[in-house]
Amino acid sequence: MKFRLLSAALLLVFALPSQGTAAPSPETSILRVNITSQGFNFALPWQKQRPSTRRGLGALLPGNRVLVTAELAQDANYIELEQAASGKRITAKVEAVDYEINLATIVPDEDPGSFFQGMEPLELDTALKPKAALDVWQFETNGTPVSSSVEFNRVDLGPYFLEDQFFLVFQANGAVQYRSGTFTLPVIHQGKLAGMLVRYNSRDQVSDILPATMVDRFLKDVATPPYEGLPSFGLRMSPSLDPQLRSFLKLDAENGGVLVTDVTPGFSAAVAGVQQGDVILEMNGHKIDARGSYEDPDYGLLGSGHLARGKALAGDTLKLLLLRQGQRLELNVTLLRKQPQDYLVDPYVFDRQPRYLILGGVLFQELTLPFLQLAGKEWRDRAAFRLVYAQANQDEYLKAGRKKLVFISGVLPAPCTLGYERLAGLIVNRVNGQEIADLAALAEAVKVPLNGIHRIDVVDGPRTIYLDEAQAKQDNAEFLPSRYRITAMENLK
Amino acid sequence: MFPSSPLPSALLAGLAAVLLPWAAFAQDEPAGEKTSSLGKQYESIVNVECSALRVDYRTPWNAATPSGGTGTAFLIGPNLFLTNAHVISDASRIVIKKVGASTPHRARVKFVAHDCDLALLELDPPSPAFLQAVPLSISTEIPKLDTTVKVVGYPIGGERISVTRGVVSRVDYQEFTHSGVDQHLAIQIDAAINPGNSGGPVLQGNTVVGVAFQGYTGDVAQNTGYMIPTPVIRRFLKDVADGSYDHYGELAIQHYPLLNPAQRKALQLPDNDRGVMITAVDSTGTCGGALKVGDVLLALDGYPIDSTGSIDIDGEQTEMAEVVERKFVGDSLKLKIWRDRQEQEFEVKLKVFPAYLMQAHQYEKQPEYLVHAGLVFQPLSHELMTAFSLTNLRTRYYYEYYAQDELYKDLPEVVVLTSILPDAINTWVRDYVGQVVESINGVKIKSLREAAEALAKAPDGTHMVIQFAGEGRPVALEKALIAPAHERILRKYGVASDRYLAP
Repeated sequence: MKFRLLSAALLLVFALPSQGTAAPSPETSILRVNITSQGFNFALPWQKQRPSTRRGLGALLPGNRVLVTAELAQDANYIELEQAASGKRITAKVEAVDYEINLATIVPDEDPGSFFQGMEPLELDTALKPKAALDVWQFETNGTPVSSSVEFNRVDLGPYFLEDQFFLVFQANGAVQYRSGTFTLPVIHQGKLAGMLVRYNSRDQVSDILPATMVDRFLKDVATPPYEGLPSFGLRMSPSLDPQLRSFLKLDAENGGVLVTDVTPGFSAAVAGVQQGDVILEMNGHKIDARGSYEDPDYGLLGSGHLARGKALAGDTLKLLLLRQGQRLELNVTLLRKQPQDYLVDPYVFDRQPRYLILGGVLFQELTLPFLQLAGKEWRDRAAFRLVYAQANQDEYLKAGRKKLVFISGVLPAPCTLGYERLAGLIVNRVNGQEIADLAALAEAVKVPLNGIHRIDVVDGPRTIYLDEAQAKQDNAEFLPSRYRITAMENLK
Repeated sequence: MFPSSPLPSALLAGLAAVLLPWAAFAQDEPAGEKTSSLGKQYESIVNVECSALRVDYRTPWNAATPSGGTGTAFLIGPNLFLTNAHVISDASRIVIKKVGASTPHRARVKFVAHDCDLALLELDPPSPAFLQAVPLSISTEIPKLDTTVKVVGYPIGGERISVTRGVVSRVDYQEFTHSGVDQHLAIQIDAAINPGNSGGPVLQGNTVVGVAFQGYTGDVAQNTGYMIPTPVIRRFLKDVADGSYDHYGELAIQHYPLLNPAQRKALQLPDNDRGVMITAVDSTGTCGGALKVGDVLLALDGYPIDSTGSIDIDGEQTEMAEVVERKFVGDSLKLKIWRDRQEQEFEVKLKVFPAYLMQAHQYEKQPEYLVHAGLVFQPLSHELMTAFSLTNLRTRYYYEYYAQDELYKDLPEVVVLTSILPDAINTWVRDYVGQVVESINGVKIKSLREAAEALAKAPDGTHMVIQFAGEGRPVALEKALIAPAHERILRKYGVASDRYLAP
């Protein structure tokens, strides 16, 4: 108790010197961010979707940087920073964005002039403890600041933006009134930025906050280019709560440990030699319990994913204590960064055109999760089953030497594709006799047709598709650009 | 034949057999004599009441639940009534009533063909009531388009016989919804076919030209009823003449049209609109060993095949499968193909292809199951997929691609952990429900019987280890706990027998 009082006093002392300038307020430290997004159409990848404009709030950071969530900044085409009260606007651009951490920094396009004059950048509060009173800052439509009070009460791992990825989330209770046209909201603790509100459940009045510690690690990464991003552990773990499973694995009854059920080839864990069937007992000296959680010194019980990913930097070493066939084993895993394009099926695609190639009307693409998600929320039931199955079993294709999964996503009716109009969702094995590991390989293979015919071998359907080389060339040059207004027959970037 | 290309599911959703189900079980028909001079000319057309037993695949150890429905049948010979298979499937008791009379006559199934939805009934014991009735004769021909037909039967809307009239709208291949996987020739008519019409004759004059069997429900399509045409009926009658029904033979191949000029150029085929490309050959099926993927099928039994897979029989354009449809298992079939720039001929013997029945509805089958320490194992089937709404991707793969990827060669049965009867021993096993069993104690499992044998054998180690397909974590059950738990669970959940394995 005594110690805590003392440290509170210390904090006060340190806080005093900054009292000289104006205390941060919504007017001085947050800005409206108006973003027009325009993603690509994954069904017709040569064209963009209808643009849509969203308005969010950003937190002003030192160096005229404005922090927003990546969700707001996705596929940004045009950005304005706006002072809520005066309506003064300048154009801006994305400086850095990380869709996994769900953060982006936005900087002025040109010299901001006097735009930031009188404004006060926010410092980060990375030492937030439960029970802290937080303020969620917003503006009324007319620019009047609004502040809602919530109480920070729980730490957990939860999703930020992409599904199936779990990071540190602070949960806070309290009503947050939703103001028109706001998307992500800065959360403030004693004048400092405590995090960004990413989700609000109005029924239970629970806010999910992306905490300042995660903002901090993002900003540090941005400050030291090149931007690295989060490392990928590359394994799946399963709880060991079942006492019969524990006795089978020769785990003692009390201790924890999680069972490694899958190791992705080429990723950190596999490279370091972690095997399916290993039991992870400790990570960086923290005991891992049977549910896969550890006791975090700051936040209490947390999922071990935080040690391997959320808290870690690419290049960090993760020390593992394993149990392999009853023997204890120490293993150092160098945590490697994997880009979305390093996966067989890109888990997300933003800010870039999907890769595709058109041959006489046959549309080839590399499979991505956004493509599958075109089938809607129930895409696992509704998208072509072979593709869904491939997405769930990527290792099998990686082991077979594929880098990406090239497939025929559809066929544009053209003179060249007579009789093939209904083909879709077909995985490509070979083109003109060459194995197709990715779209670049396809681009090479289509250069060497045999006797004036392209031969495309696919997994299902007709099994072999023949296209006339001359007709394909002619349709690529005339019919497809004129009828479908396709300006480029391929994008391999 | 089974469909080589999937039909648009939106249409199929509305296509349903037209059996009139009983509103509720145990609802008795009102007693009392009902006679009428109306309909006497139809005295060989009878009302069929079928009490059926529907098994619940979720509790396969239980006796079945009584249900039932009514349909129509008609006399085609001495004490021989033709009706639809779906009118009498899973029957526990069948009763036939004459037009205008309410006296019930017990009947039994003599032959049933679920793949073409036809069945033959006989009165048991035979009754003199039908001695005077004249059997209907079955036409040898398919009625022409736009000719008038009438449908006679006992559909919903009243007690007495009903007659509706329409014209032949279309002759084409249709999915037969009773099995869900078979396609045969069917005739579309615009006469109203309603629940209860099933199994009734479609007449031109006094001759049967078809058996009414299915129609669209709801808003999908109007005035589209379907009847089973006489080639299918006659084939069924011929098949059972030897005392048993042998099922249709299948080519067990898939094909793709040759409409693109580049296909002909690549294969160096003459530009004569002939042939289809073979895209799948089941290696154990009729054409296994003869045809290869990439061959071009030019003719079947001398009937030239056009580039969409149609042939011309007696001046009518129809699917090439019609050649196979008219044959019987064991009959030979001549194939003419194009391979390596020359024609080749093969003669093959027609076989059945049971693997495709994975996705077929099952009838008259006692569901197989195995309960072990509260873990319920069942072989994968269409009924299992629907009863348990199995969504596990790998399980769906085994179901969807069982025939196409020839998974059946390795796996005569796909054993699925379908449910758990909760108990202390299996409380952590729940996560695995819906998955396919790969091995038990290291022994690969290829059928439910093998699973039963593997589970009966004591494991070498301390645990019984069950590995599921594509799952990195095994289920381990402590050997010593299994036997007492097994007995306890069977008792507690009222499972009289821990297994039913088909002989």
